[in-house]
Amino acid sequence: MLWNRFKYLWPARRRREEREMREELESLTAIAGGRELGNLTLAMEDARATWGWTWLEGIFADIRYSFRALRSQPAFVAVAVLSLALAVGANSAIFSFADALLLRPLPVRNPASVLDVSSAMPDNPLEGMSFPDYRDLRDKSSSFSGLAAYRLDSVAVASNPAAPAQIRFASLVSDNFFAVAGVTPSVGRAFLPDEAARSAQPVAMISYEFWQQNYAGEHSVIGGSVRVNGIVFTIVGVTPASFTGLDRFFRPSIFVPLEMAQRLDGKLTDPLEDRGRHDLIVKGRLSAGASEESAQAELAAIGSALEREYLKTNRNRHMTVRTELSRRIQQSPQLLALVKMLMGLVALILIIACSNVANLLLARGRGRSREIAIRLSIGAGRSRVVRQLMTESLIVSLAGGIAGLFVAYAGIRLLQTLSVPSDPPNVLGVELDWRVVRFSLLAALGSCIIFGLAPAWQTARTDFLRALKTGGDNGSGTRRTLGRDALVAGQIALAMVVLIAAGMFLDGFRNMLVMPPEFRTDHLISLDTAPAVLHYSPEQTKAFYRRLVARVSTMPGVAGVAMTESLPLSPSQSAVSVAPEGHQFPKGRETEVEFGAAVDAAYFSALNVEIKLGRAFTDDDRAGSRRVAIVNQQFAKAYWPDRNPIGKRIRLGSADGPAAEVVGVAKTGHYLAVNEAPAPFVYLPYEQNPRSRMTLVVQSVGEASALATPLRDAVRSIDANVPVFNLRTVATLYESRVTDTWLQFFQMVGAMGFIGLALAASGLYGLVNYTVSRRVKEFGVRVAVGASRRDVVWLVERRGLILGGVGIAIGGVLARVAAPMLDAGFPGLGVSSPAVYVLAPLALLMVSAIASYVPARRAAGLDPLRALRNE
Amino acid sequence: MDLLQGTLDMLVLRTLRAGSLHGYGIAKSIRNTSNQALDIEFGSLYPALKRLEAKGWIAAGWDTSEHNRRAKFYKLTAAGRKHLLREHSKWAEFVSAVGRIMGGLPAAKS
Repeated sequence: MLWNRFKYLWPARRRREEREMREELESLTAIAGGRELGNLTLAMEDARATWGWTWLEGIFADIRYSFRALRSQPAFVAVAVLSLALAVGANSAIFSFADALLLRPLPVRNPASVLDVSSAMPDNPLEGMSFPDYRDLRDKSSSFSGLAAYRLDSVAVASNPAAPAQIRFASLVSDNFFAVAGVTPSVGRAFLPDEAARSAQPVAMISYEFWQQNYAGEHSVIGGSVRVNGIVFTIVGVTPASFTGLDRFFRPSIFVPLEMAQRLDGKLTDPLEDRGRHDLIVKGRLSAGASEESAQAELAAIGSALEREYLKTNRNRHMTVRTELSRRIQQSPQLLALVKMLMGLVALILIIACSNVANLLLARGRGRSREIAIRLSIGAGRSRVVRQLMTESLIVSLAGGIAGLFVAYAGIRLLQTLSVPSDPPNVLGVELDWRVVRFSLLAALGSCIIFGLAPAWQTARTDFLRALKTGGDNGSGTRRTLGRDALVAGQIALAMVVLIAAGMFLDGFRNMLVMPPEFRTDHLISLDTAPAVLHYSPEQTKAFYRRLVARVSTMPGVAGVAMTESLPLSPSQSAVSVAPEGHQFPKGRETEVEFGAAVDAAYFSALNVEIKLGRAFTDDDRAGSRRVAIVNQQFAKAYWPDRNPIGKRIRLGSADGPAAEVVGVAKTGHYLAVNEAPAPFVYLPYEQNPRSRMTLVVQSVGEASALATPLRDAVRSIDANVPVFNLRTVATLYESRVTDTWLQFFQMVGAMGFIGLALAASGLYGLVNYTVSRRVKEFGVRVAVGASRRDVVWLVERRGLILGGVGIAIGGVLARVAAPMLDAGFPGLGVSSPAVYVLAPLALLMVSAIASYVPARRAAGLDPLRALRNE
Repeated sequence: MDLLQGTLDMLVLRTLRAGSLHGYGIAKSIRNTSNQALDIEFGSLYPALKRLEAKGWIAAGWDTSEHNRRAKFYKLTAAGRKHLLREHSKWAEFVSAVGRIMGGLPAAKS
């Protein structure tokens, strides 16, 4: 039966049926005579309906007809498609960006049921879990079908004994990690329960990417070995390409059992037995029937039991369950603000574009009222006409959506270049995936339905008798375009909001581009080494760095060498716990964590960090001598306001840790980002505070990058197994962290402002142009009775300017209302920058004037005789 | 006279039980058998034929007519015969039910 219906879809079959019917009816006509049989065309039409596909044919007819109608108006199609393409493209690109920054779910099976569990402290709601706490939660809770723990570490990996060690991210994972994630290895197997404890040989899994890069995707890699921090691991599995770990910006290359932590760290005590060590990230998969609330309640209860039992380590700790998204938002509220603002801007652009299309559709509907009237009068139902018009706008919006994907792709390519040169690389995976495609098409279709229906309905409501009589819509211009006027004014108002927001954003961040780095960036090259991964003892590490500095300082082309724990503006900053003398901490706290770095005596001169008060470190600040520290101005201001910081003491690590005396005050610089609020910073002398991993900063005589190879060789000549990474000039780092990233934001936000402006302008142009063509006769009369060209130009121009003015006024009010929201997301950005409030309206006014001048010229150029004869 | 919904199909099937006919022949046959009471428009009959054919109750084939002209003739299929039986008993039930309610023609009161 079904087949019987489907066979009629087959075109050849339909043609045969058609021919048969025609022959049959012809033969019957010959027998009975035409009169006797009546309307045979109708009979055939009805017979065809029994095939059951008339609705489909109707749709095909609609589509065919739509294409024909659209082909005759290429300008309309071009403007509508372009408007939608720009808006949909911008939306998709920003959606991809937001996705990469914040929204993309974990790459695990059924990510919605995986929750984050952290061991929150009052001052750090996202603090990690200690292994003993994790073990207790795992054993005692029933809300989760599995609780997995992991931590991310950078390690030195060598794929074979001959290969140099590379710095890579490793995930140290609990044995149930892959089971909880629901990830099946693409080759080999995942870890077995208690595998690390039971088997003598350490085992590891490698990421798909690492497999491809270092083993060319050979399956024989299973059972082979890989060296991690000098320890040989047997590879048992390869993770699938789709699994990139549970962190957004870091992709681990290697996975090893958590139980290997002690050996990898080269520690004397097992970090897994330390209840005070909170460095594990815990994710749990909810068991059937459990909810976020019930899990939270259960874990809170277990947590308070642990608090009573282990008061020393667990005081004030709260086991907190939250979704992945809320963890990310908590982690980086700035990103949320950025995403909200960008999404808000592109949403406004989408609305502008849609009202543009709606306006075009309305104008088109009016222009076609005669045609529609004819169709209505020969019996087409109104719903049929609406359907036809909707089909047309559907085609236009689909075309816009597809074109928008290309725009999105271009935008995404731009966003993909946002990154910091570092090894192991941190990634911002902005990708055009099917979710973005779906988003784009939905946005386009949604806009079509919302903005296409009203115009279609209004068009179909045409009073066809009048339309036929008057030959189209000749109603007086002003009243009948009131709705469209409102649309255009609204568009301009929104464009105004977009321009002001973009302007304030740009104005706020312009400061950043012109802000001095507060440290030298030229003629400097830096590199990181990590002798600790080879289990150097502290003494060996110190000796290594001493030799390295000595060797490099004698190299030709080197003007100076300095060491620091972390370079300003590098993506990760070191911190220290401090208890400054005389500072009253809130109850329950005894230290504050501040940015801080161990530096050597040469650091301040090499990086040109100005000492405002006191002195810099000298070679006499060594182990055994009096402990000293240098703070920045902000630190002094925060802890000892209005007092001389020189001579004050800071306890390090804890309230009863060693005390260091402040001997100098350095100028406040930028540490994590140029747009950060002034942050306190502590410098400690390296010799008194040796670290296992230092950054070498080398000042060059000539081109800094020329020193790259000699520096690598210098490290290798001391110990070839010490990995060298982040070898880059300081200028490169600075540019990527400051100039490039923000320049791209500039371009992005600037592009949005421009798109908003262009769309509003084309909307205004379309409307004014339309009114001109409607009022041809009127202008003809005016010119005939003596109006000058200038009068006519002004008549048209005035209308555009009034619309622009109204839009600007509304937009100004809207922007004032919206500004506090901007300020909430980006402190300091929402404060009115007068220049923006002057420039944005000026730009809009100018664009309005130009957009209406073109049609005005056309109106003035009309030949009055021709215009009147037009009727 | 207007036809009840679905009745046309039944009439066509019943008419074809006597033998195969072409489209116009069916219309004529119904008209004659009903003493001109049922004048089926060819415009309604033709789609009905196509519908019955699609359902497999009647089959069509080219043949030569009484006036030696080629025409498409329709004949009842086995499935159509079965359907007609079913429809026929339903029809009979319907008629007798209506008949019981209506009874004899009531005398008109003045």
